[in-house]
Amino acid sequence: MTPETLHMQEEILRELRFPATAASILRKRQQLRKELLAQPNLLQKRIAILGGSTTTEVRSMLELFLLAHGIEPAFYESGYNRYAEDVLFDNPQLTSFHPDIVFLHTGWQNVSEFPELLESGEEVEQRLCREIGRFQTIWEKIHTQLGAVIVQNNFDLPRLRPLGNLDGSETYGRVSFLMRLNAEFAAYARTHQHFLINDIHYLSAQMGLDAWHGHTYWYNFHMAVTPAATVALARNVAGIIKAVFGKSRKCLVLDLDNTLWGGVIGDDGVQNLILGRDHPVGEAFLDFQRYVKALQRRGVILAVCSKNDPENAKAGFDHPDGILKLEDFSAFKANWNPKPDNIREIAAELNIGLDSMVFVDDNPAERALVASQLPEVATPEVGTNAARFAEILESEYFFETHRVVQDDLGRSAYYGSNAQRSASQATFRDYGEYLLSLEMKAEIASFTPVYLERITQLINKTNQFNLTTRRYTSAEVEEIAQNPGYVTLYGRLADRFGDNGLVTVLIGRVAGEALEIDLWLMSCRVLNREMELSMFDALVEACQSRGLRRIVGTYTPSKKNAMVADHYAKLGFQRIESASEGQTSWVWEIPEVYLPGHRSIVRISKSAAADEARAGTATAVLESVGA
Amino acid sequence: MTREEFLLEMDGMLGLRPGTLRGTEKLEELESWDSTALVGMIVLAESANDTEISLDEVVGCSTVGDLLRIAGVEGNCC
Repeated sequence: MTPETLHMQEEILRELRFPATAASILRKRQQLRKELLAQPNLLQKRIAILGGSTTTEVRSMLELFLLAHGIEPAFYESGYNRYAEDVLFDNPQLTSFHPDIVFLHTGWQNVSEFPELLESGEEVEQRLCREIGRFQTIWEKIHTQLGAVIVQNNFDLPRLRPLGNLDGSETYGRVSFLMRLNAEFAAYARTHQHFLINDIHYLSAQMGLDAWHGHTYWYNFHMAVTPAATVALARNVAGIIKAVFGKSRKCLVLDLDNTLWGGVIGDDGVQNLILGRDHPVGEAFLDFQRYVKALQRRGVILAVCSKNDPENAKAGFDHPDGILKLEDFSAFKANWNPKPDNIREIAAELNIGLDSMVFVDDNPAERALVASQLPEVATPEVGTNAARFAEILESEYFFETHRVVQDDLGRSAYYGSNAQRSASQATFRDYGEYLLSLEMKAEIASFTPVYLERITQLINKTNQFNLTTRRYTSAEVEEIAQNPGYVTLYGRLADRFGDNGLVTVLIGRVAGEALEIDLWLMSCRVLNREMELSMFDALVEACQSRGLRRIVGTYTPSKKNAMVADHYAKLGFQRIESASEGQTSWVWEIPEVYLPGHRSIVRISKSAAADEARAGTATAVLESVGA
Repeated sequence: MTREEFLLEMDGMLGLRPGTLRGTEKLEELESWDSTALVGMIVLAESANDTEISLDEVVGCSTVGDLLRIAGVEGNCC
């Protein structure tokens, strides 16, 4: 994409960013839609909206927000309040639509039976079970028949409370009943991977029920929520869908002075920084640090980009009240270079794309510079009020996630270890010696349920080492894992500095005597570690055990995967054809006897890997699977 | 907001060239007219008028002129 195109795209996106109002978006809807549709490389997805109320406006707004995230949706809409019938009575139009996502846009108006006044707790419980059962039947039908990811509204509250405050305390009160239903919906979401809650209970509370519900729109159009609420709702749903398809950002780049603390560390010294409970502004900075720390703990990579002397900048983290510590940051740039240059270097150091980064700086001039020179980096207009930084960040859904998996928690630790690996690399004569010194151990096996979430996450966010850039939902991955017509492999890699987690995935489809590689990807965490060679060894073994004779691979070029254009050539495949748009196909005949070359990675079994994980080391068991 | 400003806003909302709408057009006959456009017009009318539009006013809207009237800008000129 040219810089001009990127700037134009950034201008359009600004129109949709918080705090864009319904009026401002509706005014420009047609123009925005046209311009957003002209973006290159849009990811096409099919979304069914099944509504308990009118869905036209929801669709219209959702389309804009999805386009802004680089997703071009095709929509199916149920008839008014036919969300249950469309699913339960097998509407062929819905079935043949093959949705990737089913969004159930229901609200409190769609509860079929509220408790009667003075009904006993037992009777209320029975009603609750019936209501949950009704929804569960719909969800399970969607899962089995459509295999789509479900995004389900939980319940907002009605504006009116016939019982007054008792509505929230008596078991037969409507508010009380809706809160119970929400708890049950949440419990279902916790135990079903393909089921995600669109939390309109939170959204309506955030907006206020008077602004959420509107007489004009309900009685004239049967819109459950106002246009302003529709914007908030669509923004939220788009955030969820973006996360499902791996479009969330990964790294938060932070300025220091007047962003993480009040004052200028170089001038004021650490003792005079405004940070802590004894000052209202200091408390706001403290809360922002707490929010950033929470992001870091669930896997967002942190980096510093500050105009400061490095020693001064680091000293700021010695403040006794500070929440963030130096070790929370995976990259640290404190110097007097232009910030766009530093951000580019951070991206290179962390091996992530600029479009994975969000930059937060209180200085509007620095924001403007980064926004103009690096339009791929999201640079929200956070202003200068520290009390608002977190809410502005959150309103953009930059880091929305649909699951937190164990590997997320270790991400920062990994990046910290990576710095140690780099330092270690400098002491070796050659790269091979360095690789051996890492004492790498890989667990490679077929997909297993415990890893399906992480596998789906990798499939949907890996861009660089990705041969075909195919994206699959968790439902599709689960289906593939159970389908004997596929060979699936995942790989975990540990070394003496720590566990890199599950870092590579391969899916191949059996076609006669051949295995066609549908998808092969690897996290940028472990590039140049020869993990792909170990995966190839495991793949050959899997093919041999099935009596397959050849492996066919395809490289489909994308904006970001040029690094693997010659992947199959390096493995010794023969090129067989070139399709359109630079796509190439390759074949490798499986020999009777396959002898892997010398590998710097030792493959270990799942049980050995589990033992090592329990022992917290990667050096104990050396049970070679291949031997 | 003046009548002309409201009409220009409507042009923008419907993706029409500025100055296209005059006030006499039937809503149903506008090329890009749809329910979202009507909702948008009501949002616009409410923000111009700074008040909630009453239910029966919406039901009675069939021309651009009706929208100008409920927005309270029919008689406003620049």
